[in-house]
Order: sequence, then C-alpha cells, then structure tokens
Amino acid sequence: MSAPAASPPAASGGGNRPTLLATEQISKTFGGLVAVNDVSFAIPEHSIVSIIGPNGAGKTTFFNMLTGLYKPSIGRIVFDGQDISRTRPDQITALGIARTFQNIRLFATMSAVENVMVGQHARMRAGLIGSILRPPRVGREERDVRAKAHEMLSYVGLAERVHGELAVNLAYGDQRRVEIARALASEPRLLLLDEPTAGMNPQESDQLTQFMRRLRDERNLTILLIEHDMKVVMGVSERITVLDHGEKIAEGDPVDVRANPVVVEAYLGKQG
Amino acid sequence: MSVETATPKPVGRRSSDVVREAFSKYGLILVLLALPVYLGLSDLAKDGSLTQLGNNLVLGLSNGAIYALIALGYTLVYGIIELINFAHGEVFMIGSFVAFGLWGTIGLTLTTGPLGIALGLIVSLLLAMVVCGVLNVMIERVAYKPLRNAPKLAPLITAIGFSFILQNVGILWLGSSPASVPDLIDSQRVLFDIGGVNIHRGDVLAIAVTIPLVFLLTAFIGRSRLGKAMRATAQDPDAARLMGINVNTTISMTFLLGGMLAGAAGLINLLYQTSIWYFQGFTAGLIAFTAAVMGGIGNLKGAVLGGIIIGCIQQLADNRIGAQWTTAVVFAYLVLIMVFRPQGLIGEVTREAG
Amino acid sequence: MTNAQEFVRDHRNLVGAVAALSIAAILPLFMDPLSTITHNCILAGAYVVMALGLNIVVGFAGLLDLGYVAFYAFGSYTVGWFASDHFSTVNGGKGIHVVAGEFAAKLPGIHLNFLLIILVAILITGIAGMLIGLPTLRLRGDYIAIVTLAFGEIVYRFAVNGDQITLAKGATLTGGRQAISPIDSIGLPGFKEFDSAISLRAYYWFVLVLVAVVLFVNFRLRDSRLGRAWIAIREDEVAAASMGVPLVRTKLMAYATGAAFGGISGAFLGSYLTSVNAGQFQFGFSIFILAMIILGGLGSIWGVAFGAILLSFINTYFIPDVFNGVPHKLGLDFDLTVLNFGIFGFLILIVMVLRPQGLFPERRRALELTEGVTADSTFEVHAP
Repeated sequence: MSAPAASPPAASGGGNRPTLLATEQISKTFGGLVAVNDVSFAIPEHSIVSIIGPNGAGKTTFFNMLTGLYKPSIGRIVFDGQDISRTRPDQITALGIARTFQNIRLFATMSAVENVMVGQHARMRAGLIGSILRPPRVGREERDVRAKAHEMLSYVGLAERVHGELAVNLAYGDQRRVEIARALASEPRLLLLDEPTAGMNPQESDQLTQFMRRLRDERNLTILLIEHDMKVVMGVSERITVLDHGEKIAEGDPVDVRANPVVVEAYLGKQG
Repeated sequence: MSVETATPKPVGRRSSDVVREAFSKYGLILVLLALPVYLGLSDLAKDGSLTQLGNNLVLGLSNGAIYALIALGYTLVYGIIELINFAHGEVFMIGSFVAFGLWGTIGLTLTTGPLGIALGLIVSLLLAMVVCGVLNVMIERVAYKPLRNAPKLAPLITAIGFSFILQNVGILWLGSSPASVPDLIDSQRVLFDIGGVNIHRGDVLAIAVTIPLVFLLTAFIGRSRLGKAMRATAQDPDAARLMGINVNTTISMTFLLGGMLAGAAGLINLLYQTSIWYFQGFTAGLIAFTAAVMGGIGNLKGAVLGGIIIGCIQQLADNRIGAQWTTAVVFAYLVLIMVFRPQGLIGEVTREAG
Repeated sequence: MTNAQEFVRDHRNLVGAVAALSIAAILPLFMDPLSTITHNCILAGAYVVMALGLNIVVGFAGLLDLGYVAFYAFGSYTVGWFASDHFSTVNGGKGIHVVAGEFAAKLPGIHLNFLLIILVAILITGIAGMLIGLPTLRLRGDYIAIVTLAFGEIVYRFAVNGDQITLAKGATLTGGRQAISPIDSIGLPGFKEFDSAISLRAYYWFVLVLVAVVLFVNFRLRDSRLGRAWIAIREDEVAAASMGVPLVRTKLMAYATGAAFGGISGAFLGSYLTSVNAGQFQFGFSIFILAMIILGGLGSIWGVAFGAILLSFINTYFIPDVFNGVPHKLGLDFDLTVLNFGIFGFLILIVMVLRPQGLFPERRRALELTEGVTADSTFEVHAP
C-alpha cells in the first residue's frame, strides 16, 4: 500500500495508537526556494518512524520546523493536541520534543557531563538568586542533575572514565552517544534523530538500532528518524515516509516502500 | 500533485510576512522623513520659506558624500567577510592626516597660486588614497586574516585595538585638540544661489570628487575580473575558491579599495571642514556605519543612499537640535534600524542560512 | 590524603580567594593611611568588580558589549542623585535623609545610606542592562558590539548635556561636565563614617569586601544552571535553544547581572572620588575594561581579576610614574599618559594575535580561542 502524496495525515501501522505529532499541509519557503511543500504527516505514539529521501529533499528543514527553528510558511504542527507551529525551540523542548543534529553540535568546551546537564535545563528550576545563594534545594537539584547526567551517559554506553572529558576530545562515536544522552536528558516524549548512524560502521549501526528499540520500550519514547542507511531504516521502522524535492511521495511500511517504483525512481532517477 | 512535477511549485508567502516587510520598509522611510518634514512645516509656518531647510539639505548632501565614501568601505568589507571593520573610521582619519602632512611638506598654503593648489590637492588625494588603501590591507593582514577561524569576537577586538593605536598616532602627530586647516579652496565661497539656498565651493568639491569615485567603483566591481571575483567571494567563498579565485587576494583587494575610498574622504573632509582632529574618525566612522546599515549593509547603492540620508540627518540635528545632541540622534536611528529593519532600506542577504 | 588536603583540593577557589584577600587586607597597615599605593589599590579593586561584571556578558555569555561605560555612569549617577546635594530643592530645601551620615544629615538634597544606594544602583543598572540588551537579542556578534557601543555613546551624551535637561524646579539631570560634588562618603551602620581626607583604609577594606562578594557570585554562577546556559549560548545558540535554554531570558539575565556589577562599582567610585562628572564616561573606558578581560583571559574568573589589577596599575602607576620618562629619553616631548589608550589598544592587539586566551585562561576557553573550536550558529534569516 503506497499512500497518495498529498493527503490528510496517514495514520498507518499501529491501528489505534493515538497520534503524538501531526503536521497539516506544512510548507516552508526561503525567499524564492520552496524547501518543503504541502507535507502532511502523523506519528503514532510509541512508534519508530523514519523519513527518507535523496539529498536535498527537505528532510532537515522538516525537522527544523518540528523543533521550532523554522516556522512553517503555511500549515500547522500539532503535538499532543497543542498547536506548536509558532512555538519557540526551548518551549518545544519543555513540551517534550528533543533532537540530535546531523552535524554533531555538542558544546565543545564543556565536558560530556556538563553537556548532558545543559540538556536538563528545562527540567530544572534554579534561577539567578537561587544559583547565587545555593539554598539546600538548589544544591540538591545540582547534585541530582549531575548524577542523572552520569546515569544517562552510562545508559547510552559511554565509559565512565570519559564522562568528565571535554566533548571535543571524545571519539566520534562517543560524541554521538553524548548527543543522544543530552537529548534524552530533557525527558522527551518524542525524540528526533537526524542521521544518527552517519559515520558508523555496521556493528555500531546495529547497536544503535537495538538501542532505539530499547528507548521505545523501556523509556516509552516515540522516535522519528532521518536516515540514509537503508539497513537501519528497514530494520527498525514501523513506517517510512519518503520525501523528494520537499514533497511527500510515498508512505507506508518498509516492505511496501521498498518496492514502490516511485521511490526507486526518486533515488535512482528515471530509468530508460 | 504528482511526482511528475519536477520544478517546485511557487507557494504563496504568508500575507502577514508580506505586510510586515512592507510595514518595516515604509515605517523606516516615514521615520526618516519625519524630521525634515516636521522642520519644513514649522519653517513654513514661522517664516514662510524653506530656505533654511534647503541650506541644511545642501550641506547635508555634501556631508553625506563624505559619509558615503566611508560607508562604501564598510559595506565592501562586510559584503566579503561579513565582519565590521572597526578600524575603518581611523583609516579615514589617517587619510586626513596624511594629506595635511603632505601640504606641510610641499609647502601648500593659502599663498600658493591656484595651479599649485590644484596640483597639490591632486597629489595629496592620490597619496591619501594609496596610504589608506595600504593601511587597510595591513589591518586585514594583522587583525582579520590570522583570526579567520577564531570566534567572531576575536577579529573585532583586534580591530578595536588597532583603532586605538591609530588614534594615538593622531595624537602624537598633531596633539589631542582639534587643529585648524588652511582653507585652500575657499570652501565657503558661494558659487550658486538658488532661491536663497546657497551652494558653496566646498559642497561642489565634495560632490565632484565623490560622484566619479562612486562611478569608477561601480564600474570596476561590475565589469572587471577582480570585481567579479569580489562579488563571487561575497556570495559564496567556497564556491569561488573552487572556481579558481584566489580568495585571500580578493579579500585584500577589497580592503584596499575600501581604504582608498576612506583616504579620499579624508582629503575632502580636510578641505570641507577645514579642521583636523585625531577623534574625527571615531565619530565619522560610527555615523558612516549607521549610513551603511541604513542603506543596507553589503549593498553599494545602499551605502551611497544611506550616506546622503545620514548626512542630512546629521546636518539637521547640528543646526536645529544642537550639535551636542547630534551623535545621540544618529545613534538612536542606528539602534532603531538594527531592531526593526536590520537589512536597511534596500538591503539584501548575502549568504543563505545553513 | 589528609582531610585538610582533600578540602583544599576540592575547594581550590575558596581557599585561594581567602588567602589572597587576607593578604590584601593587611597590606594597607604597612603603609601610610593616605598612601598613593592604597589609592591605586582601591581603584584596582573597583575595576576588578567591573571587569568581573563585563566578564559575565562577554566571557560567559559571549555577547560583545562595547558600551559597558553606560553602567558605570548609571552607578555613579545613582550616588550623584541620591547621596549629594544635587537635588537641593527637594522637600522644600530640607532634603530627604535615610540613615544618612551625620555630616550629610543636615544638608539639602537626597541622602540615602550607601547600602541603600547599592540596592538602588543594582535596580537601576539591572533595568538599564536589560533595556540595552533587548535590541541586541536577535543580532549577531559584531552588530551587538555596535549597538551596545551606540547606547554607550547615547548615555554619554545625556551625561554631558544633562545639565541642560531640567527635571523640575531647578534640578537638572546631571551636572554635565561640571562635577556633581561633593558626594557623601560611605557611612555604614555601626561604623564611623568614612573620611577619605584622613584615611583611605576604610574605603580599601570596603572595596575588598565588594571584590570578595563579586568573586563569590561569579564562582557560584559559573557552576550553576544559569552559568551553563550562558556558556551553551556562547558556544552554539541554536543547540542551546534546542536543549531548552530560553535565549531571550537568559541573555537578558547576563546583561542585567553584568550591568549590576558595573553599577555597584560606579556607585562606590562616585563616593570614593567624591565627585561625578560626565568626562568619566567616554567610550575609551569601555575598552579599558574590555582590555582587562582580554588580557587576563576571557571567561576566566581569576584571569579577569588579575588582568584588571594589572591593567589598572599600568594605567595609574606604570605609565604615569615609571615609564613617563621614556619619551623624554627618546628625545620626544610629550606626556605618556596621553597615549594610555593607544597602549591598551596595543596590548589588546598583541594578546589577540599572539595569545588570544589571555594570560590566565580557563582551560576550556583556551581551546576555543586557539583552535577555533566552536560551532557556527545559523538561525532563521530574514529573507528580503
């Protein structure tokens, strides 16, 4: 089953799971360039869904709209019943959407632990006066946040001896882990991963795939993935949406999407 | 909509965006016109004539020419490396000093005959342009180039350091108080009188030197190979590099051009204001920067337009509000523009967001 | 390791501060009560407070503020308005006094106790900081520099021309280039009123207390939720926002906190120098403070404190007293103090080119400034 391109939100692959996030015909224009055009999209809760498409298809622009970095030129984004089309990025994080970036954007001169502590900013309460005076409540909060950061780093598989290492000094794979830990630190309900397996070898990609399933099952997360690695995509996704030139050209479960001629053509170009 | 659509369909912009864009542009124009219009109306009400306003605007135009030249320097550099050259005002100041120094050396005084003065001025113009051009390149080599990969704070701070060093060069040269300069071209002599509005020699000189320079610059940027290289580098330095353009040389050449214009402005300023002061670069530099931003940073026409507008605002403020408030007025405009319309009147975005 | 050694290791900053301040506290006892060295130390202390304030804005949050002199002005005018006879017509000529010193209690004008002045100064400069920071929130680095510089100039203009702005029956905004003078000296409840004509020591110890407080606040902030948020913003604003850091609020907090330090120090200096005149608030002063944090080490609390002390002494002692003979020996005839700012500019230049992390960098900032380790942030751009 391949869904038609422009259509009302397709709620597939899960039957009666509620929709956690939905976009309603959103578009994004930069000056004269249309990056995303009329995309309607829905993510069922507790699922792992992927967005794929050739380079320049508008996937990251789409992500950026979901996280509030861009405002859609047209259309609405609804998260858990709330319209977040014009919500600021930090508010969106507080509401429960977290992300990683295609090019790792850790805070380079902070340690891994400090990076993850920043991730908890939205869940902390200490203000200016509290930070200065550090009453017992704030002191406790700091200790808890630091402990939680260590726990998060261990959970994503970072060796404890490098928890205090400056982010810039970590190996590439470890940096990716830290980014995920940082995103998880904000206790999100929806996790957006932008090409998380870039630069990974097959074993590492496998580990990440299993890890994503753990996140969904153990931490009740919903995961939206942008990926190029087809093995990962096919292996972990419950549903795949395909973008090309900013438009949705196909959507469905992995088997159907893989066989869809429209999708094949988009990736390989017209044959003959 | 099917997958056969290869070209992206144009999608309408939110009407609110269009409205906001028009609002800020015409809002700015209104704010700019408010002062002269108000003054014009109150003049008419008081004496029934617009000659004072006219005189203000003439002086404003000539002042504006000087600011336009300096603003062009800011805008050229900003267009190519997206950084403000903090020391640019001081380069302008050094231009004045160099020209003045030359006058002293070759004995150019009020008693020199007209031919001597004309030749002397041409030579000092050329000298000021050359020295300032080289000085600007030196600033680029010391302050901007080595710090290209450092956080953006670094080159700015270095340029500020440079700016202070240059100011002190000025102090060493001619002391810390303003000095008077011989009025070599009799700049206050009225050449034309149009219905009570006076146009002096100084005004004509300012315009007469600026217009050809601006034309030369525009032609150069539009037609020459280096000009094309500059425009390419401004748009996308990586692509330019891939096309075989030597980006480093192009950037240095841009600084050279900017410096030369500042040097020319320095000479005109000497003749027009008949005074010289180590601190003139600080004030003129900020005012000219306001002009560049008002027109649209990165945009050459914008720099000239902005220069003229700011020159008029400055003149009106000097004459009608009080010279002690002029810088506050101009900077208030700067802040307003930065907040409500950072792209200026006709500005463009030189590089797309990532 | 013994308990004591462990304590020192875990509380390096506290131990270091206590040691340094203790030594500093007994120094004036070895000198004449009115010695010039004590005077220079007091100035240095006031500048340390300001430099640490600017360090929060520029060093922690990465916002290049070139108009810091505005907060110095607001702080000084706070004490000029509320601890002098500037508003001499207030209350029918009898003045308003709130726990004022015995000397001031009989004078016309508004006279608040200095501790109240500090609170008022914090309030005024905190608000001013936010107002100045507000227009810069969506601007990039160099534009922030220009806008804050412009604000600094606007404030200076109002300071200079303030003697022409009448507020109400005979009270002008400022004294313009003529000083508002005399300013009340500091009178703390329980202590004798300070008298700088007799001994500078009281002012010296007071400024040491200010320095101690400011150091404490800085260290607390740096290792707190807010401090981490500031550093995150400086590193990568987009990532910071995506992690839940509210950019507007956090940046305004940086401006306000940095400004408040400037205000406190400005109020102190106004009282210590017993006069406030507009000539003190020119642009060069902003660069003077900026040079301190560049020289000392941008973002490093100890570095900035040291840089402030060093540059202050270069300004008040080395240039006028030690090196002033140099130009004459080279056959030139001018006063070296005239070149103050050229020398600072030169120092800034040298440091940025040769050792941008400053003399005593914080380990992390050294990386950032030497290897360009930082993300380039791009955000939504206004299409024309």
